[in-house]
Amino acid sequence: MALIDALLQGILMGLLFALVALGLNIIFGVMNIVNFAHGEFLMIGMYTTYWTSLLLDIDPLFTLPVAALVGVLLGIASYYSLIRYLLRGPAIAQLFGTFGLMLFLRYLAQFLFGIDYRIIQKGLLIGKSLSIGPFIFDWTKLAAGILSLFAFAFVYYFLNKTKTGKALQATSINKEAASYMGIKTDKMNAIAWAIGGGTVGIAGGLLANFYYIYPTIGILFVMIAFACVALGGFGSIKGVFFAGLLVGILEMVFPVFGSLVNSDFLGPHFKFTIVYLAYFIIVVFRPQGLFGWKN
Amino acid sequence: MEKLKDALDFRDFSRAEQVGFTIFSIFLLLFPWLGAGSFVKAVMIQFLLFSLFGMGWNTVGGYGGQVELGKAQYVGIGAYTVALTMVWWKIPFWVSMPMGILLAVGYSFMIGYPLFRLKGHYFAIATIATSLVLQDIFANWKLVGAAKGIELPIHDHPDFLYMQFKSDTYYYYFIMVLFYVAIFYMNWFRRSKLGYQLRMIKDDEDAAESLGIDTRWCKIKAYSIASAFVAVGGGFMAVYNLYIDPVSVMDLDLSIKIALMAMLGGAGSLWGPTIGAAFLVPLDRFLGSWLGGHGGLIGLDFMIYAMLIMVVSAYQPRGIWGIIEQFRRKGS
Repeated sequence: MALIDALLQGILMGLLFALVALGLNIIFGVMNIVNFAHGEFLMIGMYTTYWTSLLLDIDPLFTLPVAALVGVLLGIASYYSLIRYLLRGPAIAQLFGTFGLMLFLRYLAQFLFGIDYRIIQKGLLIGKSLSIGPFIFDWTKLAAGILSLFAFAFVYYFLNKTKTGKALQATSINKEAASYMGIKTDKMNAIAWAIGGGTVGIAGGLLANFYYIYPTIGILFVMIAFACVALGGFGSIKGVFFAGLLVGILEMVFPVFGSLVNSDFLGPHFKFTIVYLAYFIIVVFRPQGLFGWKN
Repeated sequence: MEKLKDALDFRDFSRAEQVGFTIFSIFLLLFPWLGAGSFVKAVMIQFLLFSLFGMGWNTVGGYGGQVELGKAQYVGIGAYTVALTMVWWKIPFWVSMPMGILLAVGYSFMIGYPLFRLKGHYFAIATIATSLVLQDIFANWKLVGAAKGIELPIHDHPDFLYMQFKSDTYYYYFIMVLFYVAIFYMNWFRRSKLGYQLRMIKDDEDAAESLGIDTRWCKIKAYSIASAFVAVGGGFMAVYNLYIDPVSVMDLDLSIKIALMAMLGGAGSLWGPTIGAAFLVPLDRFLGSWLGGHGGLIGLDFMIYAMLIMVVSAYQPRGIWGIIEQFRRKGS
């Protein structure tokens, strides 16, 4: 029973993880850059929701558009102020550049908001739960899972059905060929960063409803996102969705097994360790991931 | 003997570099007698320690071009080996430090073998992942003190065997000796076969492979050398600080700082890591203590740090040393 419960909870978390990893994967697919600052984008989305709901006294759930907007602007600003210049340099500079961005945003948040752990206390869904049979779901997590699914579906639709989305995919398959067809690479890159920032902003807004908000949360989620991307395949949208679910389930189910055995090494505090380990094992033994095509 | 001669041979450097290095060496030698306060002394020790770390990183990261962001795990292995063997079995530092090096090298072969199937971003992320796994394990493992860490027993009187001294000056000279061993080693390394092979790999891995270089094995060797360097520094940290915990010796921030100093100074050059450390350690320390006095400004030092990284990677990926060389070429 505990196992099924963990499975269901894991799926809800997994939907959110998939949304977080989606933006990372789009950016990677389009321009072959790993955005280390992705987790920090999430953190800023969380703080956006926290402060708008607190200061304007609106429900955290309705601050999602603000979080998305902040995310989009952050993505575009990062692209035009930094990433564009990094593209000219070697790969090592690109890595360090986004790393610098990550540190900058993290410590900016620490500077502005302090190192306290914050939590949103007031809200429509907070503290309420839904019980179906023996299973109890927090409404906040339920909403996060379902809305993540919607956001993911929306981006999926955008990528596959609109002209801009198809242009983005074309750029990610072959940059040169796409630019000969009149697709401006620079613009596509900026759009990729906008989508990346926007989706992770929403994810942050949803996460803020039930998770602690603190400046250094980014690294945890960026590692989870890396694991999802590696598992699903770098550049694969469908893959990252299933990978997100898988990582979510893994992270929830593992502690259940752990609680059966009394040991230092199996327990809830290792639930993210297992995710890092999964990343390591996946990239080493199957670098293209489960659905990947880009190597 | 031949190798030793190579290590001490600085003739292929320019006159300015030779003079600079000599003046710098005299300064290092005389530093404790210049009447600096204990804070400045601590900063100098940190500077030499991070130069040592940076030079280690430089083998695989600088010459080999493999962005490695998990060096802290080897600092941890070095530090924990020294601390634990001292607490459990009273093993002297001079025995436990080589043990730490051996463990670090062994471990680096173990994870280096799968790691170096990977390239570029995948590799960089995987090194972070392995480092985080090890940190999580140490932070929860009760036998090694878990998150509380370990305190080293303090002896009543100075003890050379256990590297316990009353005055920082001894620690300073010890780390200075290590620093010079590292400089001489790196001076030999950059002209060794492995050094040339690594640079070839950095420039064009496929070409290196087609010339018959076993690229993966070269990288693993360089990686284990880097790990040995870093483990020595870790062992020093344990006896110098007399207290270690997973955050102080294994945190991601430490890995980043190590890579950053080498990169900022100039990855792939002999002086690079030292120059980087000479900039960043004092910046970190003085800014930290100054801001500490102005409570509530936590994080500002790292923001300046981060801006430096962004500017350097966007405009001069070859670091400060790259800028100096650029000017020199214009001048001549």
